[in-house]
Amino acid sequence: MSWVAIPRDLFASFGDIAKFGWRVIAEVLEGSAVRFFGESLRQAGILIVGSALVIWGMAFILGLTCGVNGAYFARSIGAPQIGGSFSALCDLREIMPLAFGYMMSAKVGTGLVAEIGAMRISDEIDALEVMGVSSLAFLCATRLLAAWMVLPFMYIAAVAAGFVGSYISVVQQVGEVSSGGYSLIFWAYQNPPDLLFSTIKGMAMATVIVLVGLYYGYTASGGPVGVGTATAKSMVLNTIVVHFLSMLGTMVFWGANPRAPIGG
Amino acid sequence: MGELAERAYLPVKNGLEQVGEMMVLTGKTLLSAVRPPFPYGLEFVQQFYFLLKLCWFPLIVSMVTLSYGAPGLQAGNFLEIFGSLDRLGGFFVLAVIRNFAPFVTAVILAGVGGTAITADLGARKIREELDALQVLGVDPVKNLVVPRFLALMVVTALFNGLAILAGLFGGVLATLTFNAPLGPFFSTLLTNATVTDLWGSLLETAIFGAIIAVVCCYKGMTASGGAEGVGRAVNQAVVISMLAVFAFNYVFTQTLLATHPEISVVK
Repeated sequence: MSWVAIPRDLFASFGDIAKFGWRVIAEVLEGSAVRFFGESLRQAGILIVGSALVIWGMAFILGLTCGVNGAYFARSIGAPQIGGSFSALCDLREIMPLAFGYMMSAKVGTGLVAEIGAMRISDEIDALEVMGVSSLAFLCATRLLAAWMVLPFMYIAAVAAGFVGSYISVVQQVGEVSSGGYSLIFWAYQNPPDLLFSTIKGMAMATVIVLVGLYYGYTASGGPVGVGTATAKSMVLNTIVVHFLSMLGTMVFWGANPRAPIGG
Repeated sequence: MGELAERAYLPVKNGLEQVGEMMVLTGKTLLSAVRPPFPYGLEFVQQFYFLLKLCWFPLIVSMVTLSYGAPGLQAGNFLEIFGSLDRLGGFFVLAVIRNFAPFVTAVILAGVGGTAITADLGARKIREELDALQVLGVDPVKNLVVPRFLALMVVTALFNGLAILAGLFGGVLATLTFNAPLGPFFSTLLTNATVTDLWGSLLETAIFGAIIAVVCCYKGMTASGGAEGVGRAVNQAVVISMLAVFAFNYVFTQTLLATHPEISVVK
């Protein structure tokens, strides 16, 4: 393996992934997934049962971390009462999309590669095509539709889990601000558009992660070992994409306007 | 009712068993690392080199973009309101050295390096190479797990240094975005940074590396179950190692901040 193997691989497969992703999105928009709506619902159920708790757990842990840092930072400038402002900005705008992206790529993205890759190498996808069922619609479009149906709600619940974590660490654990004082500052530093922007950020990440997972699974080859390698590869791309989209979202939504309740 | 209890009980029992087995693997790894003979030198060098080649690009890209966006633009905008953009450097000690650099290093090493290790060991497991090694009298823990464990610990700690540099570069970019001079950024950065921050960060990431290595090696060595086996092992390995790393990160950050109050004083 050479030093530039990873960047070269990524650039080489970027066009393929974009093309594949666009085809899957087109299948969903054309309504092919609706023909298999039962399958979409089943996939949505699998997503909720299998991944919700892990994602919320991750959000909760990172909320705790955010809160601890915010509380000590606020104390260090001699104003422990404003711990809420740090955790509001940190949780909602940056860390929750990241936590969601990390756990989506770890749990859902690699899970999709493993599942669909196994179907590919045991020739189940070819069998589908032989039977006259479009595998792209039945396997890929249904999963993307399921993700779009479930994930906005799961994301907002994850943000709530992060908020609870921050509250616990700032108010209960470090304990230098009263519950009411914390809430006053915490809610002053955010408003509904912020939540909307944050959700858009999370959903953009989720869509790309699902498409990347589907692509690496759909094109897997080389036996069970090949599925393992493809799963590992999907994580390389996903980690980069998550950070990149996080930066892009911050630039677009908050780059020119901090939206803080300070000044005129 | 009985069925429900069964359904809730089995996953818990399974999870606890796996945690126990990982602990046993950790103990075995530590013991065989220090007990002679030491046949793992060459494998250690190869793994070290492999991880270095695999992770440098994702790490640099992720760290620069993340620190430009989150602490750079977001906190920079906030400080700009008060007209005190020079404080951004001081904030970067907290943001990058103490938090995001270890964070991102862990995510990249678990997501890129750890998954590669799990896929590699999983492939050997299902091709029955591990069993063949044992038949030949070669201990897989000593010859495969120990070098990966040591390599991941060292590489994660060293990559943390690179992540800090890349993160500060993101901060420099953000400062330039606001058309502010760089001098104040570096001066507040250097007055606020302490040695404690740096060794805390390095120690934290070394332990992250150990956690990732144990989880990923364990999942690779116990991969099973046909076509989906290795892929599923990789999936579980990355989920477990990320959760474990972030849970540990919380405890470590909390302990470091509480036991070293002098590092959180703004100068």
